[in-house]
Amino acid sequence: MPMNHGGPIIEIMGVYTAYEGADRPTLQDVSLTVRRGEYVVIGGPNGAGKTTLLETINGMLPITHGDAVVCGHNVRGDGCRVRCRVGYLLQNFSFDPLTPFTVGEVVMMGRFGKIGLFRKPGLEDHEAVARALSLLGIRDLASRPIGQLSGGQQQKVLLAQNLARNPEILLLDEPFSNLDMFARESINALLSRLVSEGVTVVIVSHAFDDLPDRPVRVVVMQEGRIVLDRECAPGLVEQVIRSTGGSAANA
Amino acid sequence: MLEFLIQNNIVCHAVEAMLFASIACAILGVIITQIHISSIGFTMAHAAFAGAAVGMFLSVNAMVTAIIAGVCVAFLIGPLSDKARVSPDTALGLLFGISMAVAIFFIAYMQTLGRGFSAMGLLFGDVISLYREEIYLLALISVVAVVFVVVLYKEITGIIFNKKIAESVGIQVKPVYYAMLFVIALTVALCLPIIGGLLLYVWLVTPAAIALQFCYRLSAMFVAAPLVAAAISVSGALAGLEYSLPVAPLTAVMFSVVFIIAVLLSPKRRVTFRKS
Repeated sequence: MPMNHGGPIIEIMGVYTAYEGADRPTLQDVSLTVRRGEYVVIGGPNGAGKTTLLETINGMLPITHGDAVVCGHNVRGDGCRVRCRVGYLLQNFSFDPLTPFTVGEVVMMGRFGKIGLFRKPGLEDHEAVARALSLLGIRDLASRPIGQLSGGQQQKVLLAQNLARNPEILLLDEPFSNLDMFARESINALLSRLVSEGVTVVIVSHAFDDLPDRPVRVVVMQEGRIVLDRECAPGLVEQVIRSTGGSAANA
Repeated sequence: MLEFLIQNNIVCHAVEAMLFASIACAILGVIITQIHISSIGFTMAHAAFAGAAVGMFLSVNAMVTAIIAGVCVAFLIGPLSDKARVSPDTALGLLFGISMAVAIFFIAYMQTLGRGFSAMGLLFGDVISLYREEIYLLALISVVAVVFVVVLYKEITGIIFNKKIAESVGIQVKPVYYAMLFVIALTVALCLPIIGGLLLYVWLVTPAAIALQFCYRLSAMFVAAPLVAAAISVSGALAGLEYSLPVAPLTAVMFSVVFIIAVLLSPKRRVTFRKS
């Protein structure tokens, strides 16, 4: 079934990204165009550059060569504006039990970039936070300290933080880690709904059982390069990744 | 400022100084303890010490050079931490070592020239013999600290929560983080010669640590820490002056006692015990 999508929302052109002190770039000559409303699964072995690609898209890592335009902004000079419109769920986070932040406060942080410097959260921001908490089914946790929640609940809170700023793109790095099967199913359904509403989802995941029931685009990376980029049925993702020679288990 | 409450000028000045400095340090202490840079007190003390030594060597006002050295170090903490790819605490350690080396060099050199050195006094201020101008400066510092936290509250809380997440949600982390370090270091540099090291170190850490025993929200810590600091500091000043006891050590001991009581009474710890 061919997918119908909007115009390009991520355009990466011959990008090289290098960490300070590294003897070679982590991303090498990566080009990728993602259209609005696409669901992209990024696979590949450990150290292939998957997380680096996500952080390059939202401007958190410096691009040494090439260009990247995301949501109409050049990532090189406008990274902060890009990040106000892009949600990014980081991999493997857990918080100390004494962390002095409630769930509601953490989710509100997702709005801070949009609110801007020297301004306080308004009604619209509080409504967005309440909506995000409801979407993840954690509204009753709003006043709980985040450090006292389970790993799975903390993961949901961080996802709600990203949804609170109504992102045009969601970059998700292992979003299903720490989640039980019920939570995985509900988040999977939520992501499918968001994609149907035009949100672009780019996901790095081990959990190929939790992909939406629709064709997805698979991008496989090896040693900092994209070695495969094609659409396939969700049930075939693991097989497609294995066909490139990288172990799906290492994806 | 508080003459309408306290008739005795010496007591009034001491209470005012303790009140203003404790509020400024306790508010910034919440940030310091949450981003783990408690050693900023020692580093700034030795930066001021080095500045004073240079001032003595050049025969200029040692207090002024002490503050200038403190401000220079305040400017350096953030960029040094970033450029050298070390934690802010390590950057503070590096600057502490450099400051100490500069101070010792000039002291030793002046001794070979047969010149005495008495800059140590700069590190041990005396709250019961302050000039009115120094009280005004402390009041200004506390206002700056409060305004800074209120104006940049969102950004500060985001950075305290997690710098990487703060960056990912669109906060301009680097300039705010540098500003945070600078305001903290500047406050320490300005308070140090007036208040002295002992109380400063206590104020920068203990009120926030006491507040953390009871507060589940950072916003509550920003209110509780200065309130606790002000209450204990004013009590310490009044008790010390009433019973002719040394004010700074007495207040420091009172803070430690309150901290121990807070740990024993903390609901957070009770929950942990029940779980295990």
